[in-house]
Amino acid sequence: MAKLLKLIQNENMKLYKRLGTWIMIGIIIIAVLGIGVFSKFFMDSGENTNWQQRLEAENLQLERQLEESPFQSAGEAYVTKQIAINNYRIDQDIPPLHSQSLWGFMIDTTNLTGIIALFAIVIAGGMVASEFSWGTIKLLLIRPVSRTKIILSKYITTILFALFSMVSLFLFSFLIGSVFFGLEGAEDPYLVYNEGEVRERNMISHIIGLIGFNSVDLLMMVTLAFMISTVFRSSSLAIGVSIFLLFTGPQVTQLLSSYDWAKYVLFANTNLQQYTNGTPLVEGMTMTFSIIVLLVYFILFTLTTWVVFKKRDVAA
Amino acid sequence: MEKTPVAELINVKKRIGKTTIIDDISLKVYPGEVFGFLGPNGAGKTTTIRMMVGLMDITEGEILIHNNSVEKNFEKAIAHIGGIIENPEMYKFLSGYDNLVHYARMAPEKVTKERILEVVKLVGLEKNIKNKVGSYSLGMRQRLGLAQALLHSPSLLILDEPTNGLDPAGIREIRNYIRKIAHEENLAVFVSSHLLAEMQRMCDQIGIIQNGKLISVESVGDFVGSCSKKNVRFQVSPISEAVKVLGAPYDSLITGQGDDYIDMTVSHEHIAEINKLLVLNDVDVYSIVTLQSTLEEKFLEITGGGQ
Repeated sequence: MAKLLKLIQNENMKLYKRLGTWIMIGIIIIAVLGIGVFSKFFMDSGENTNWQQRLEAENLQLERQLEESPFQSAGEAYVTKQIAINNYRIDQDIPPLHSQSLWGFMIDTTNLTGIIALFAIVIAGGMVASEFSWGTIKLLLIRPVSRTKIILSKYITTILFALFSMVSLFLFSFLIGSVFFGLEGAEDPYLVYNEGEVRERNMISHIIGLIGFNSVDLLMMVTLAFMISTVFRSSSLAIGVSIFLLFTGPQVTQLLSSYDWAKYVLFANTNLQQYTNGTPLVEGMTMTFSIIVLLVYFILFTLTTWVVFKKRDVAA
Repeated sequence: MEKTPVAELINVKKRIGKTTIIDDISLKVYPGEVFGFLGPNGAGKTTTIRMMVGLMDITEGEILIHNNSVEKNFEKAIAHIGGIIENPEMYKFLSGYDNLVHYARMAPEKVTKERILEVVKLVGLEKNIKNKVGSYSLGMRQRLGLAQALLHSPSLLILDEPTNGLDPAGIREIRNYIRKIAHEENLAVFVSSHLLAEMQRMCDQIGIIQNGKLISVESVGDFVGSCSKKNVRFQVSPISEAVKVLGAPYDSLITGQGDDYIDMTVSHEHIAEINKLLVLNDVDVYSIVTLQSTLEEKFLEITGGGQ
């Protein structure tokens, strides 16, 4: 265990002594700052002053839609939920979220987890492949440490990088958000509509939840990139394939959603928000089903990585 | 020598697909001894070394380091080994010192900061150790490679082509250093090379490998001893007369003859005697040339360099 910690320390040293890593972190910080500047100075600020009237008008329109043209069940549920939440806001005097408030801004910046996923894939793709291309793998493996521990330390380091980026994103967007937009409305709750009732939830845990949901995708793609990096010893292949899948996977799965087997595709399951806040891609899918599918893929990826790394002959 | 070997290869074979790359190699390396592993490129030197350090699987046979099998008991076996496999590739974006810290963290026992600095001094890198390895010359990288191999005070040093790409001064430095640590600190050193001259100066034992087979193991000490016997070519005329004159007393020493020469394996004193004998018998002697030593001959023969 002490040995594993030292290995992780080594991997971290190799990661953070490289300029590229800091450029990535810099880009994330600049992106948060950019979104902040844009929301503060370039967006129309009058939007939220008379929100009560706006919500009432919106409700009227939604109700009319409900009466005139019946929706499918999913659409109807969405509209009913929207009306209920709007009414609750008006009754309890809780203004809706908008980009020029701390929470609205932080929810906007959770979209940056996509960039973090991208960077984490780049790191994962280089983790093992680079040691081969640098030639350092030879000196790395002739130490009294099992290969299992070495590959594990590399994987943990990759995940720690993603985690570190996520925490940085959260803290930095909180900092920028509170500097730019103040702490006004910080006690506003997040509203959820559940079984015909509107409930108040803690906003911070909602935002952390959002980041968490986005991390599922990240974790799976990083693990995939890590596997390709180990199996093919090519960082460009690992990065290319993983990023391609990251962007096209969900769309392709959407196209395939009319087939029943589509529910076994990885990307049909990475978005767990489809169960908390929407409709499942293929009818009959449940949260438990998706978690099991994700676990199976995860075990498949990590097991392949481990076996290949352990067995591989290191030739020139 | 009734010492226990540090490293022992027992009938080691390596097959990749259907090709046998290493065919039944057995050898022992003793403490305080520099073992040279000599062979042409592609003979299987690097493959053998990679099996010794666990980078490659052993198809058949066994490799023991202090009686620990490299395959079954990897961590214990490798703990005794320090190695450079081919060019010492280091992390270029780290300083030399950070590179050593990296490997020190993976050492079997705690390597203190003092030990790291001691090794740095030993290989003469004090001035540059804080610089990034990317700025190092090949010679400096080679020395850093040696430093990482020695960090945990191994009892077996494995060096794959350690002088590759070094200038003559660097080669001499490495060679002297290897001999020194082997003999003074009783380390076993296993060195591979395709350069005979270098091996002869550096090693106590030389194993010659070709096409995956260990052809012979020669002790350099014996070889030096046999230097009193040399292969000598006498260029003479007429040849028939010379053969007749030398035939009776030295028949067993004649190893070959051509149109105008006789080859003999003789000791130093014999050369003058034979010369005198020939001259006194009216045979003209045009030249007396010492041919290649036995080991060199053998090596050139197998590498095809003699043709």
